[in-house]
Amino acid sequence: MSDSETVIQTGKSSSKRNGFLTAISEMPVVVKLALFWLVFIVTAAIYAQIDLLLNQALPLQDPFHQPFLFGDASPVEGPSADHVLGTDILSRDNLSRLIHGAWVSLIVAVTVVAFGIVFGGFIGAFVGYVRGRSETVVMAGLDVVLAFPPLVLLLALVSIYKVRNLTLIALVFGVLSIPTYVRIARASTLGIASREFIQAAEAIGTKRRSILFREIIPNIMPALLAYALISAGFVIVIEGTLSYLGLSVQIPQPTWGNMINEGRRDIRRTILPIFWPGLFLTLTVVSLNMLGDWVQQRVAVRSSAL
Amino acid sequence: MGKILTVRLARLVATLFAVSLLTFLLVEQLPGDPVTALLPPEALHDLETIERIRAELQLDDPALVRYGRWVTDALQGDLGKSYITDQRVADAIRDRIPVTMELALLATVIAAVLAVPIGAFSAYREGGRFDRMMSGFTTAALSIPAFVAAIFFIWLFTLKFNWLPSTGWNRITDKGLLANLKTAILPASALALAPLAINARLIRADMIGTLKEDYVLSARAKGLRDRYILMRHALRPSALTAITVFGLQLGGLIGGTVVIETVFALPGLGTRLISGIYQRDVMMIQGITLFVATVYVVVNTAVDLLYLALDPRIRRQ
Repeated sequence: MSDSETVIQTGKSSSKRNGFLTAISEMPVVVKLALFWLVFIVTAAIYAQIDLLLNQALPLQDPFHQPFLFGDASPVEGPSADHVLGTDILSRDNLSRLIHGAWVSLIVAVTVVAFGIVFGGFIGAFVGYVRGRSETVVMAGLDVVLAFPPLVLLLALVSIYKVRNLTLIALVFGVLSIPTYVRIARASTLGIASREFIQAAEAIGTKRRSILFREIIPNIMPALLAYALISAGFVIVIEGTLSYLGLSVQIPQPTWGNMINEGRRDIRRTILPIFWPGLFLTLTVVSLNMLGDWVQQRVAVRSSAL
Repeated sequence: MGKILTVRLARLVATLFAVSLLTFLLVEQLPGDPVTALLPPEALHDLETIERIRAELQLDDPALVRYGRWVTDALQGDLGKSYITDQRVADAIRDRIPVTMELALLATVIAAVLAVPIGAFSAYREGGRFDRMMSGFTTAALSIPAFVAAIFFIWLFTLKFNWLPSTGWNRITDKGLLANLKTAILPASALALAPLAINARLIRADMIGTLKEDYVLSARAKGLRDRYILMRHALRPSALTAITVFGLQLGGLIGGTVVIETVFALPGLGTRLISGIYQRDVMMIQGITLFVATVYVVVNTAVDLLYLALDPRIRRQ
């Protein structure tokens, strides 16, 4: 409480200087936990990739090593000192596979957000500001894409490709995410375009292109970023679903979804190999949603105050 | 109203046309020749036979001609025949749609019936213990992927407690309603989680606003009981929004059943689509995708129009 009061008293300059730190200190505890979990997942995923680049020199179990096949171990062991979260059906280390699987979710989420903001944000701002025929055409095209249930369109699309690697899956997700971002960017642009500062810029003869890039796009960014977190959670679920169906990135690359699929076969013996990826998926999506909700509330307060 | 109706219906037709074109073009990109899937490997050198089959299936016509033929047939209820299993696609859909429809409807009902008391009571005691508990629940229900919830339900209710069968489907016509519900309740519940959370949040937010209205205050002043006010005075204005949202969710759930059917191995449209994808069954993928998208678009338009018809402000125009 005292934090928010000081911000108000000291005015805009100090809150801007420490914007990020102030924002974190103002978070409710659960949102802080959510942020902590997301930072942990991202760090772990990057750590696993560095480990792969260094030929697994870092202290992390090999996610592909299957001692069971060589008669060295029994499948599905419980937690132990060697395997903190136990092993799966092929006696591979669960923790290591979870961390490597996080990379797939991370890449898909980052691609979707990047594609959405860069292409969707630009197209939406453009048609929202310029209006006219380009708007009609673009919005009609979006209606067609959005007329499909998302999972069904995605299934039809991935069924085209025989080889599904991470690059391909990330690109497909990225392109399909654009329509929703266009809608949000356009809606925010329509709200801004009639405001005084845009009229003022037009009155003094500022070029339309620089109004678009200097005035409109920076002002729709907060709304896009708030949606970015929610959409990241959404695509992580969809990618998990696709992986579970065996239609996303192919094995042996571990993903949270295909770990659940593989664990499914042994569900009568133990739930552990399903429980962990299920928990990681859910916690990550909960975190993204909570953080997204929180950002959205702040954005709403700020834009209503303007 | 008449003008709105005309515009909406025209847009519906245009969207459906574009959807069919997109579906056709997408599946056209499938690699491999359907003929090679049809023939045994030793016949693949037999160029004459290949030519004959291609001609029989009219595969050498330009894409646009084949699209025209496909859509014309589809309008008459004929979605072609699978090259792989020789089954008519329309028959496959007719065979499997009851399962998918029942799941989607049951999930909508579960989500609606549970969301009303949860949302209403959360709003009534805003910030109270129940409200905070339910806010935690809705956040979790919105975030847990449906297939993860489904597998967890299987583990809990069939393996741990042994209450319900884990997979399979009893048709109402064969085994009666109770046996049918036993196989439908778990998948429908898993499917209902997310819409339940959304509905509960919507009703709560809506009712918090309504409870601050003057007519609620005057009802209180008259000495009416809280429960009566809640159900009669406060819930009614929210019903319109709620009905619209429930309807829109029904359309979405028809797509959402795909993975749930797979988890529970149910003989629905979704499992047929997935097996079609595994087998690279062009006609089946095209037909089912077109059908599901059509249902989705039509349901959404119908709900939109229903909302317009119910809202007195628009009806009067």
